[in-house]
Amino acid sequence: MAQRTGAERFIAPFAKAASARTFLALAAAGAVLAGCGGGSPSPSSFSGESDTTESTHAVASRRGRTTASTAERPAIGNRDKNEGSGSNSTKGSDSGPDAGPNAAGGKRGAHIVPPKGPVEQAPSPEQVTNATIASMSLQSPAVVASSGSPGRLASTYTCDGHDQWPTLHWGGVPAGTTELILYLMNVQPVNEDLFVDWAVAGLKPSSDEIKAGEMPKGAIVGTNSFGRTGYSICPSGAGEIYMFALYALPRSLSPTRGFDARNLRQEILDVSGNVGLLPAVYERG
Amino acid sequence: MRTKATAIGATLVALAVLCAMFATSASAAPAWKFEGKSLEGTEVVLGGAIESSMTIPGLTTKCEDFLYKLTVENASGTGKGSLTEMPLYNCTTNSKVCSVSTIGAEKLPWASKLTTVETIPYIIIEGVKVSIYYLGSKCVLDETLVTVTGSAGGSIDNTAETATFNASTLSASKTELKALSQKIEWNGLFPTEAFQWHREQALSVS
Repeated sequence: MAQRTGAERFIAPFAKAASARTFLALAAAGAVLAGCGGGSPSPSSFSGESDTTESTHAVASRRGRTTASTAERPAIGNRDKNEGSGSNSTKGSDSGPDAGPNAAGGKRGAHIVPPKGPVEQAPSPEQVTNATIASMSLQSPAVVASSGSPGRLASTYTCDGHDQWPTLHWGGVPAGTTELILYLMNVQPVNEDLFVDWAVAGLKPSSDEIKAGEMPKGAIVGTNSFGRTGYSICPSGAGEIYMFALYALPRSLSPTRGFDARNLRQEILDVSGNVGLLPAVYERG
Repeated sequence: MRTKATAIGATLVALAVLCAMFATSASAAPAWKFEGKSLEGTEVVLGGAIESSMTIPGLTTKCEDFLYKLTVENASGTGKGSLTEMPLYNCTTNSKVCSVSTIGAEKLPWASKLTTVETIPYIIIEGVKVSIYYLGSKCVLDETLVTVTGSAGGSIDNTAETATFNASTLSASKTELKALSQKIEWNGLFPTEAFQWHREQALSVS
């Protein structure tokens, strides 16, 4: 360790002047005064070993620090589900996250109670290679987004109005794309199944928009989950969240008019490497 | 003679004002402090989110818990940091047909710095990248990889020793996190506590 603790910094100048024996005596006295009960001060990583034996709350409550009102401060792991640290300790050892500070050990200091369950894994290279990556932009002047919430869709684009698709713009179509296929789906399933409101294949890779109510030349419309060859947004209740999805395909699937939108989607996912996504919400009234 | 003296006097006053301005500017740069003293060298701040949720428009994705490890230091009097680890736990969506297959922080470490926004100390985390891979044959994001990128600013409460991230703090610090070309919402409350050389010491930023 390049750094020294405060005790070490204090002791170092004395060491230069005193004999080794004196230094050792001073160091030992300093260690006792500093309350060093053993253990390295170096922090561990989350993947280190855990020796959690008590919750942060328990330790924090007896730290006796008056500054920053330790007792008032939220304590890590001070949740009902994390109480009973014995089981968490085992969990932590199994799942990886240590309780880093615990390994730093000592008889004092705060502890982090590892969360229950295994640590989530980042997408693997294989998943990234096979995934449909949300890398394209897809936007609509009719869908104005707000932070954290999908943009709202006006009733004119639903069965409460003209039931006409809005203008959509896109960009970032990857090189080598031979066909674009546009989908509109309910985010939440209907009768526990994917619900497709609109599917349009045969869009040219050189295109960058579809205008409201105008079907581009060469476009092929599929059969939606309402059983109609066309577009419709018609929630059964007060509203729904929808997802526009524009898939870029490196090879054409060449579906015919009235294709089964739900079935074609699996083929699309097997082929497509890129997608543009635009969530939108429609609420009645 | 009097004119020359006046000119010298005015110059000195101007220099004094400039010095005062620079001094104010320098002291305004927030630094990491322990028990009121500026941190020398590095320190490790380690903790777990007390509560946190990330709302991706359309499909709300939440992680019940996550931990973080932040190495901090003061460089030229200004607090900086490096987020080196951020394991996530129990991540789910609000759709019963969509599962989070994998999710993880990428391109770590993420740089961070301290700043002040209207007298309130902030920590800015830069270069955030979180990738999420969804699965579910009936899920709209089946086999889809969504990436959250951007930067996030959180306000630091020196009394409670916490950092708070929400829509207000991101807006105030002129930072944003995006996914699907849209701003996403992140709410998080994190304790700030040292675990290396300054354990048990009061951590503040000013």
